[in-house]
Amino acid sequence: MRLLLAFVAALGLVACGEKEQVVVYKQGKYQGKPDNRSWDNAPLPAEFRGGEWKQGDRTSWEESVKTRQLAQHEYRRIYQ
Amino acid sequence: MARMKFLCDAERCIECNGCVTACKNENEVPWGVNRRRVVTINDGVVGAEKSISVACMHCSDAPCMAVCPVDCFYRTDDGVVLHDKDLCIGCGYCFYACPFGAPQFPQAGAFGLRGKMDKCTFCAGGPEPDRSEAEFRKYGRNRLAEGKLPACAEMCSTKALLGGDGDVIADIYRERVLRRGRGADLWGWSSAYGVRPGAQPPVQQPAATSGKS
Amino acid sequence: MLLTRKAASQAVAQSRLSGRLSGAVAKTMDRRTFLKRSGVGVSGAAVAAQLPFSMIGAAQAKEEQTSGRIEVKRTICTHCSVGCSIDAVVQNGVWIRQEPVFDSPINLGAHCAKGASIREHGITHDSHRLKYPMKLEGGKWKRVTWDQAYDEITKKLTDIRKDSGPDALFVVGSSKHSNEQAQLMRKWVSLWGTNNTDHQARICHSTTVAGVAQTWGYGAMTNSYNDEQNSKSLLFLGSNAAEAHPVSMLHTLHAKENGCKVIVADPRFTRTAAKADMYVRTRSGADIPFLFGVLYHVFKNGWEDKEYLKARVYGMDEVKKEVMAKWTPDKVTEACGVPEAEVLAVAKTLAENRPGFIIWAMGQTQHNNANAVVRASNILMLALGNVGRSGGGCNIYRGHDNVQGATDVGPNPDTLPGYYPVAVPGSWTHWARVWNVDLAWLKGRYASEALMAKPGMTVSRWIDGVLEKNDAIDQDPNLRAIFFWGHAPNSQSRGLEMLEAMKKIDLMVVIDPYPSASAAMFAKVRKDGAYLLPAASQLETEGSVTASNRSLQWREKVIDPVFDSRTDQMIMYQLAVKLGFADQFLGKKDGKQNIRLVKGKGGMDEPSMEDTLRNEINKGAWTIGYTGQSPERLQAHMRNQHQFDVKTLRARGGKDAKTGYDLTGDYYGLPWPCYGSAAIKHPGSPNLYDNSKHVMDGGGCFRALFGVEKDGVNLLAEDGSYPKGGEITTGYPQFDHVLLKKLGWWDELTDEERKEAEGKSWANDLSGGIQRVAMKHGCHPFGNAKARAVVWNFPDPIPQHREPLYSPRPDLVEKYPTHDDVKVFWRLPTLFKSVQQKAVKDEMHKKFPLILTSGRLVEYEGGGDETRSNPWLAELMQENFVELNPKTAADRSIRNGEYVWVSSPSGAKIKVKAKVTEGIGPDTVFIPFHFAGWWQGEDMLPYYPEGAAPIVRGEAVNTATTYGYDRVTMMQETKTTLCEVAKA
Repeated sequence: MRLLLAFVAALGLVACGEKEQVVVYKQGKYQGKPDNRSWDNAPLPAEFRGGEWKQGDRTSWEESVKTRQLAQHEYRRIYQ
Repeated sequence: MARMKFLCDAERCIECNGCVTACKNENEVPWGVNRRRVVTINDGVVGAEKSISVACMHCSDAPCMAVCPVDCFYRTDDGVVLHDKDLCIGCGYCFYACPFGAPQFPQAGAFGLRGKMDKCTFCAGGPEPDRSEAEFRKYGRNRLAEGKLPACAEMCSTKALLGGDGDVIADIYRERVLRRGRGADLWGWSSAYGVRPGAQPPVQQPAATSGKS
Repeated sequence: MLLTRKAASQAVAQSRLSGRLSGAVAKTMDRRTFLKRSGVGVSGAAVAAQLPFSMIGAAQAKEEQTSGRIEVKRTICTHCSVGCSIDAVVQNGVWIRQEPVFDSPINLGAHCAKGASIREHGITHDSHRLKYPMKLEGGKWKRVTWDQAYDEITKKLTDIRKDSGPDALFVVGSSKHSNEQAQLMRKWVSLWGTNNTDHQARICHSTTVAGVAQTWGYGAMTNSYNDEQNSKSLLFLGSNAAEAHPVSMLHTLHAKENGCKVIVADPRFTRTAAKADMYVRTRSGADIPFLFGVLYHVFKNGWEDKEYLKARVYGMDEVKKEVMAKWTPDKVTEACGVPEAEVLAVAKTLAENRPGFIIWAMGQTQHNNANAVVRASNILMLALGNVGRSGGGCNIYRGHDNVQGATDVGPNPDTLPGYYPVAVPGSWTHWARVWNVDLAWLKGRYASEALMAKPGMTVSRWIDGVLEKNDAIDQDPNLRAIFFWGHAPNSQSRGLEMLEAMKKIDLMVVIDPYPSASAAMFAKVRKDGAYLLPAASQLETEGSVTASNRSLQWREKVIDPVFDSRTDQMIMYQLAVKLGFADQFLGKKDGKQNIRLVKGKGGMDEPSMEDTLRNEINKGAWTIGYTGQSPERLQAHMRNQHQFDVKTLRARGGKDAKTGYDLTGDYYGLPWPCYGSAAIKHPGSPNLYDNSKHVMDGGGCFRALFGVEKDGVNLLAEDGSYPKGGEITTGYPQFDHVLLKKLGWWDELTDEERKEAEGKSWANDLSGGIQRVAMKHGCHPFGNAKARAVVWNFPDPIPQHREPLYSPRPDLVEKYPTHDDVKVFWRLPTLFKSVQQKAVKDEMHKKFPLILTSGRLVEYEGGGDETRSNPWLAELMQENFVELNPKTAADRSIRNGEYVWVSSPSGAKIKVKAKVTEGIGPDTVFIPFHFAGWWQGEDMLPYYPEGAAPIVRGEAVNTATTYGYDRVTMMQETKTTLCEVAKA
């Protein structure tokens, strides 16, 4: 019985070392590491040939990046 | 919601190493550190030779993150796996854990020092203010913060290496597969459940017939 | 193919990293120090010691978006002939970043390893560039000033000229020069007074240009890389495009994805072959048997395009008769090793999948009968009716970024810019007018009128110009001085003898961004007699460059020439000043000046590149249609690349925002021929000889260059075969004033045009009126004729297979011997049969049983010193190697990765690493040609100038290659010789 209890207790500890799988961005930090989120930056001037989005707006940044990503799909440029 | 991924289309990769030097150029990676490299399997074997570009795959459940003793890794909202070099102690456990060999160390030798681990950042920099000099010197360029995608994928000579949102990659790749009439020989059902390419000299692929000319 | 020495490379990493730290941190760190520094916040020193260090030199970019002026310059990669666009981001004159140009219709943002790393050329920190002028003194390279170098060089040249005449100088020009620089180079050499000039095209595609031009008019790629998207089949015979032209594979693989059949025939299973639907292993040097073997099946099954042949081709019946008799399947298999079933499969695939291309590079061109090999390719495509249509023809992949342009308008020994032959007095009259130079004065510069009309020596034989007995060469002096102006030495064969030539020559001047192997080889055997002048790369100047598909692209200057280098045009001008022909160089005479001087680096004068294009090339190169590509039009194209369709290269509409130029109808880069002046707005010709289009729409037909009839057979096109919309619906000869008058179109010229055009033809009418009026009526200025399958003025009117001079098969040498020796050929005695016979007699095939072939790698370009000095590229390929079949290796107890000695009949032995792979057959070995810096096992590092040796050095395969030249162009036979491999 005691052996069984000890065994169960040991099993219960197994998951203690596991890291949190869900990404959490709190107080400017990802899991304790400070970093900006890409869309929180202002778009660069045109000379840098970068994307255009509204600073702080995640959706507009994603749209901009996905549009640019289509440059990797040569069918777009060929059949435009 | 964007989730950043890489996919190297082995039907198109010609081992031109454009992705490798694009990364070196953009991030000023020093000699000896290979954030990205191209692997060719079955070199010279007719019908079986394939090339594929490999770097950090930014895993959803990253083994490097799981084993790091000082917990220097983190994953961003886009799914990019980054790490903090100031916390890194150069133990090399992430290198043992990574199935792709992504972690690189600038110094070598059996009894030498590893130095801080360096790896592909999906051109998303690291835990320094975005686009600052400190971020560039430690982690390389932050192209995502400029609304761009990794230099390697953008400069691939045959558009084999695709990098960016996984959904868009899937769309691009699906169109190619439909036009080719078959999936990749390198991975997929045949390698998982059938004869692995390269195990024996395979039969030449039958020419695609339907809907082509 | 990554062969690395990890340990050694790490040692390099250490010193490079710590070098930059300049004492801030200890070079090594013990464990205690490391533990002390790591993990505690940001310690500057710890970060500095271990992390990727910025390679930007003094002018470090800080917060990039706030400080300093940022500009974006659009340029073109300087490596290969695909012509990928690059956006270079420059801040305060420092090149900080490069971005892909997705808009470019040619590369769509793609790059290979070389293009993706080209920013390294602007990095001044830890650079291996040649930084300042140097002179060899006492066996060491000493720094000198430009003035001292100029003074000494020009004095030596003047002395040599006085003693021996102008033909004692050989100027090796460059395929890496822009069109403007190349044209100026040809002019410079003419003003000096010799035809002894050449460039990389000689050893690259000279046989292509000769053979293809003689078949149907122009010797260039008939279509474009983009046009492969419209193909149904592609036959790669002698091309490893995946490594030599990687971005072209974007178009090829896109085509393959959409149903195009890709066939690769090669002695090696290359990266290109890995992407093929069908791979055929051929024997190196046996291309005609393969091509005619395919043609045999085409004829046998009646797959040839009979209508097309009747209307547009001369002589195919003769060819058919010979092919059916001579190249039966057994003979084909005996000669090239390909089984009949495979040959038939290739023929069937090509026949059932039209239109299609045949694609080649050095694999076809570097043989003693290559002028015939390329013609056999032409004949195959003609038989299938593939030439002169979108998706079909001969896609010839040129090598260097501007080898096409340099061939078109640059330093060739037998032609002036635009292929005007030096042997024709009219060419000199024409160019003297264009250059605004007094013809009598120009003639006086040459040793004699005979020598002025005689094609000069070639770069492939300059060593014999030095070493050969004086009474055997066809000019008065031997060569006493050589200029390597943007050309490496290790790309030419017979390296051992080149070293002997360097021992003997009076003066060598290397003008190059890198010292190149010339510096090392010379310093190895001499104590003095050489100078190195640092030239700027094409990224440090502006100019136009012609890609393989004949499109011209305009490069903007990215940064000023780095270190103490100067642009090539400045050096040419400054030397011209010292040598006394500066005025003629600028075309300054009678109150007119062709080329203005603009301020270059350091405020010094240099010729304007735009003026050179506008006032010389556009005004003179009528034969190939380099007249419509004005700087304004080209620059408008570069600003509006997104307007051009990728499949057709055509702009459907659009106006340039900056100048208002209307892009509608233009083809990208105005691919030559772009006839007439810029004013008539010819759109360029994307696909040559295409008579489905009007001539003002980019259409064309075959050239009437060979006469009106031959032995009673009509050489002009048959009735009904003419460019669409043409008013003459049958064949016609070239246009000249006589023809215009006969047709009654003479009065359509303006008064000014008529004055100039009187007595002239379409090729030398400086007003362009003859071309304009001809095209207005839908007629092609160069006539409308048939292509020739039989070229009667060539050594082999119908292509014949001839075994290489060093052949592994004496039995085949007997059946297919090479040409007879020639007493005088490009001014030198040239041996063919005697070399081949001696090799058979000496049983070379037993002593050296393996075929040695060489070729390209994707990481490096050309002679290689430039790319091997780029750490990002050098890291990928750190050793030269030889590819051996597992059986070949096993027979010699050679393991993968071991050093081996490769020896050849030349007597040389080179030391390379063994790479054992199934990709190459058991009878052949392959060594890439980009390496230099080792000499038969010895590292030549001590012979390079300090700090300017390439990072990676290795044996040059051409140290071991042997004698052998093409019968028409003196191309070297580097693709096929013999060797033996032994463990080191």
